[in-house]
Amino acid sequence: MHVPLLIIGGGLSGLAAALRFARFIPDVLLLEKHSRVGGLNSYYYRNNRLFETGLHAITNYAAPKTKNAPLNRLLRQLKIKRKELDLHEQLSSEVRFIDQESLVFSNDISQLSTEIAVKFASSYNSFQNLLKTIEEYDPFRPAPFISAREMLLEQLNDPLLVDMLLCPLSYYGSSIENDMDLGQFVIMFRAIFMEGMFRPGGTIKDFLDLLLLHYKNHGGTIRTKASVKRILHNNKKVSGVKLENGEVISCDYLLSTIGSEETFALLGTPSPLETKARLGFVETIFELPAGTRLSESNDRTIIFYNSSKKFTYQHPEQLVDFNSGVVCLPQNFQDLPSAPTMEVRTTHLANYNEWKHLSSSRTEYESAKNTTALASLEVAEKIVGNFSQNIVYRDTFTPITIERFTAKKQGAIYGNPVKIKDGDIGYENLFLAGTDQGFLGIIGAMLSGVSIVNQHILPRL
Amino acid sequence: MTRDAIRDLILEIIEDIDEDADFDTLEADKPLRDQLDLDSMDFLDIVMELRKRHKLQIPEEDYPELATLDSCVNYLEPLLADA
Repeated sequence: MHVPLLIIGGGLSGLAAALRFARFIPDVLLLEKHSRVGGLNSYYYRNNRLFETGLHAITNYAAPKTKNAPLNRLLRQLKIKRKELDLHEQLSSEVRFIDQESLVFSNDISQLSTEIAVKFASSYNSFQNLLKTIEEYDPFRPAPFISAREMLLEQLNDPLLVDMLLCPLSYYGSSIENDMDLGQFVIMFRAIFMEGMFRPGGTIKDFLDLLLLHYKNHGGTIRTKASVKRILHNNKKVSGVKLENGEVISCDYLLSTIGSEETFALLGTPSPLETKARLGFVETIFELPAGTRLSESNDRTIIFYNSSKKFTYQHPEQLVDFNSGVVCLPQNFQDLPSAPTMEVRTTHLANYNEWKHLSSSRTEYESAKNTTALASLEVAEKIVGNFSQNIVYRDTFTPITIERFTAKKQGAIYGNPVKIKDGDIGYENLFLAGTDQGFLGIIGAMLSGVSIVNQHILPRL
Repeated sequence: MTRDAIRDLILEIIEDIDEDADFDTLEADKPLRDQLDLDSMDFLDIVMELRKRHKLQIPEEDYPELATLDSCVNYLEPLLADA
């Protein structure tokens, strides 16, 4: 079999790349290792119900007429109409540093500005200047690493405010410890604070099915449970892939969305990239009956919290670091269709190696998952009030779960700390998109797939 | 294809990319990108649609020839002579 374009990985970047290409040239084949597409943003069934992984709140909300906003550009590139998605904006979110300060924000940046005027009055003017800097900065121009933290400290002159701004941006997409690259900071600041959060009315399954439907309507082909064993190449030129079942598929272009080191492993070539610690996460879903009233923060969509004196975002030494994290109430979007249940979801940083070590003993691993869920529950109840008596179902994902179901190395959802922004990993006809290209989040991942196809593949065919 | 037909083809492709595109005030000798707020990603759609509809292969170095409506027509006229 021969195709002009072969794509490895049916996560959102791979799906978007495939759909973009199929709009013009239908002979594209997408290979997904697992039985379902979606990668980090997928779903599973337990307790007769569909649970989403990944998607809690999508960043980069944009009003219909803002043509150049990432969301609208993406939909135009994929020829998907906004109304097909049924978008619902968030209620409001919060950065809460317990016993220190809180900042509430929404999809209207003026709310955050007002909060800063009230709570960080002496930094208000410099915050306005920061907004101007962020609006004018071009984060897509190739540039060496610039520390966002240092820039913020210099500009805002208030370490607490700097940490409070970095906390949500880190949790929503930083693969780097205690800092971010300035370009990435600008992208994430716009995505979360200036554009804001939303979700579709349906589930992630509906969203993935919609992408697959468009893709198939254009004539594209997908194969699930199709695991690539080797990428075939010679002299920095790829000729195709060999699947685990022995089948060989040849191609003119290959797009890999599975991560940089994961791609080098299939090439059988040592990765030339610097090895840095990857950040792992644990997540727990607490399912409650619909309409359960939380005594505090009942109308928040996401609360990014920190309970220690100094916020840190780094690889923890112990299994899980409960000192900071994310509490998400995914039913809190405007006018969402009613559902039989609601959720409280928590996320914290975790140590992959410790979990890996435990996983050799089923009982120890399960017991650690249970302890983690209970400790996370305690933290969540401090933030939203008690709800443990209402829990009807509970599930915890560890870095081991994420690695198993997404094939992301070490379950590190934000991938390699070293990003390859132009998607060029040194081969004539093999390019990288997705997490390790550097655009994060659902909209970011999809734009990554689209822009690498636009930049390297479509103009050459 | 006549010059008018080529002009209509380009406008039709642009309308397909952006249904809100406003052609009333469009000046044929001024850059399409500025007037219609098209970005480079949208621009690639014009090239790819021409390929899909008329099997036209436009090399990357010729993309600047598509800058204005007039230059599009000038560039495409010989290529679409038999279309």
